[in-house]
Formats: sequence, C-alpha cells, structure tokens
Amino acid sequence: MIQLTTPISEAAAAALQVGDTVEISGWILCGRDAVLPKVLRMIEDGNAQALGVDLRGQVIFHTAVSPAGVGPTSSNKLEIESSIAPLSAAGIKLHLGKGALRPETIEALDRCNAVYAVIPPVTALLGAKTAETRVVAFPELGMEALHLIKVDRYPAIIGAAHGRSIYD
Amino acid sequence: MTEKYDEIVARVSDTLVEAGSTFREDKKDAYRRAIAGERNEQAKWVLDTILANAEAAETNRSPLCDDTGIPHLLLEVGEDCAVTGRLLDAIRAGVAEGLRRLPGRPMGIMGDDHQRIDQSGGLDPDPAGVEPAPILLRRCKENVIRLHILMFGGGPAIRGKTYRVFHKHSTQVVLDEIVSWATESVAQLGCSPCTLAVGVGRSHFEAASLMLQAQADGRYDVQSAMEKEITDRVNAANIGPLGLHGDTSVLATFLKVGPQRASGVRIVCMRPACCFEPRIATVEL
Repeated sequence: MIQLTTPISEAAAAALQVGDTVEISGWILCGRDAVLPKVLRMIEDGNAQALGVDLRGQVIFHTAVSPAGVGPTSSNKLEIESSIAPLSAAGIKLHLGKGALRPETIEALDRCNAVYAVIPPVTALLGAKTAETRVVAFPELGMEALHLIKVDRYPAIIGAAHGRSIYD
Repeated sequence: MTEKYDEIVARVSDTLVEAGSTFREDKKDAYRRAIAGERNEQAKWVLDTILANAEAAETNRSPLCDDTGIPHLLLEVGEDCAVTGRLLDAIRAGVAEGLRRLPGRPMGIMGDDHQRIDQSGGLDPDPAGVEPAPILLRRCKENVIRLHILMFGGGPAIRGKTYRVFHKHSTQVVLDEIVSWATESVAQLGCSPCTLAVGVGRSHFEAASLMLQAQADGRYDVQSAMEKEITDRVNAANIGPLGLHGDTSVLATFLKVGPQRASGVRIVCMRPACCFEPRIATVEL
C-alpha cells in the first residue's frame, strides 16, 4: 500500500502505476459537475489565485460534500471529465473518482504527470476517515460548492497513469 | 386519529432510514458468495470494502452512499384495507422525517420549471426538500397495508434505459437485447457489482413500474432461468466491481414480465442498480 500525502510531489506522481493501491491523506479538494466549470473559467481568466488554494500537487475528489457524507460520482460525466486535462495543466496531481475515462483524457493526464485514481463509493467508511470540511469557493452551490476536506488514509486504486488505464 | 397518524409517520421514517443504511440478509449472503468466488484480487478487495461499508452503515444507521437517492414508494393494499388521503399525508410526512434523520443529501432543486431544469434556482438545504416519486399502488394477498421504500441513486438513472424491442416472436431476442444494454451500462456505471432490475411491459410507464416492482419482489437466492442467464452473460464480460475487471459484474437479475399486447414490440425498462441497490426496506402500516 502506497501512502500519499498532499501536496503530492512530481516524483511521487511519476512513481504511480496503474493497479497500485494507495491511501491518501491530508487536505484535498472536492468538486463535481456544477463547480468544476466555474473553477476552469477562473483559471482561464488568470484568476485562480482568488480561490485561495494552491492547486499544485493537489488532489481533486469528484464528490459533493453534504451531511450525508462524501462518495465518488462518475468522473466520465461531461463536465467532470472535461475538467481533468485543464486542471492537470494547472497543477492537480491526482483526480479521484470512478468510471472509465476516454483515451484522450488519459493522454492528457500523462502529459501533465498526473494520475486518476478510483475510490470505492463507501460513504460510511469514508466518514470515519474525514476530519474536517470547509467551503473554498462558490458557497451558493451548497453541497456542490468547491470544498476542502481533511482526510486520513482514503483507499484508492490507480486507474490511469502513464497513458495506461486499468479499464483496458 | 392523531396517535395513529404519528405512529405511521414514525414507522415510515424508521423504514426510510433502514432503506438508506442497511443491506438485506440475502444481499449480504450474495456478497459473501461473490467474495468467495472472485478470482481477481482487486475485485475481491472492492467487494470486501463494499460489504464492510454496509456493516458500518447498518451499525451507525448512516447512509450507505452519499447519493442517498430519491424515495420511490410501493404501497400494497389488502382486501379490507383503505387508503385515505390522511394515510398518504402521514406517509409523506414520514418520508420527510426519515430524510432529515438519515440524513438524506440535500439535493432538492428549488424554483420554477425553468430553474428546476437548469438548476439555477439553487438547492434546498433541507434534506426533506427531496420529494418522493409518485406512489405506485398494487393489491396484495395479505389483509394489510404494506409500504416498500426504495432509494434510487443518480448513477443507475443515467445508465438505465427504457425502449422498445422488436421481439421477432422470440424471447431470446429480448434477452439478447437486455444483455446488450446491461453489458454496456454496467461498464459505464462505475459502481458495480450491479443488480439488474428489468421490467417488460406494454408502455414505458408499465415497464418502469414493473422494474420497480422487480426490486421489491426480487431475491438474490431465488433466480429464474431467464434471470440467471442475464446475470451469467453480463458477468462473462469481465467488467468486475467498479469496472476494474473480475468475475462479479452483476450479483443477480430481478426481472418482472407483465401482461403483453398482440404486437411485434415489447417495452423494456432496464436499470443497472448500483452496488448498494436495491436500497429497500418494508413496513406494514
């Protein structure tokens, strides 16, 4: 089991291979369909610093954050998958979700030395591994706002790295 | 009357919490069989983790999944039993109370028709803002009023399909189409192993209602020849838990075939219920 703590270094990301089992700890970002396009627009406008979070080395977990807990939504939903390449270019090192990605997304991850990891949708178990949550941006989106959460050893499997996919 | 109303609200509320937090025993057994038979180590790890999650959720009475789902209600009515508007109000109040207690994910969309489509009206912060789907009613043999509460998540709704099949006077043609739809949708879902819920009817409404009833009636330890064939053929595709390959893409199929019309067409509704579904609990009121 490989231990990853945010921020993830370039070397740690480069060492990850498809099929590796990992545990992720530290503060990680959470966002999905509603907020990711808004974050991308901020990056395109050169305004990412207004988020107040350094995206370099960060993890983004494709989930809502609500009193019901957290759990991955499908990463291959249009607005989520289309965020993976530009967010990787902005410094995100690990995208955490579920479901197969398209080949062009996997190639984009490779170009940015970033990876995709699959996390089981085990909300009850993840609840015991989640210490704190706070809203970073777009609070009007409620559970779909951009959140930071502090996690301790979230389990995942590397699903795409170095141009390869576990779904192939 | 108020005492009875309050009692029904409390029972419905408890039942909704159970539906959102608990695997039925035959489902736990299906997972245990799948873990024992799974040859792919990653798949076995995923199955173990899902079962451990179910045990934790049951102990905590907390959600199995953060997408706590949309309540779908099936009401069974016995011979001498009456369904009154007051009973329906009590059921609705019990659903609202249960959503607050689970807690359900606050994902009800506010606003007018336009705003509810494009989500511009914002989210209702109250978990009870998630309104249940219309109640489905059917007769039952026992002289009781029985309520099944099912919580439908969003992923299977994205991947499910209701469409016509030209059967060419062959059951096999319809089964082949179901297997084709299921194989594609289970691979895309990302939350396998699935339980395939299938209704075959004369209209889209009827097929969808049969799909829902199939989830209420289906059992993992009682599978018909058609159900077993569908399960085995989808499992042969090696999709596996979470799509990571393996022997266990589908735990079982729950198929309900309704009355049919003299026609070359059957309407099929197929829902790839995710690894936690059917999230169901039942109560007599």
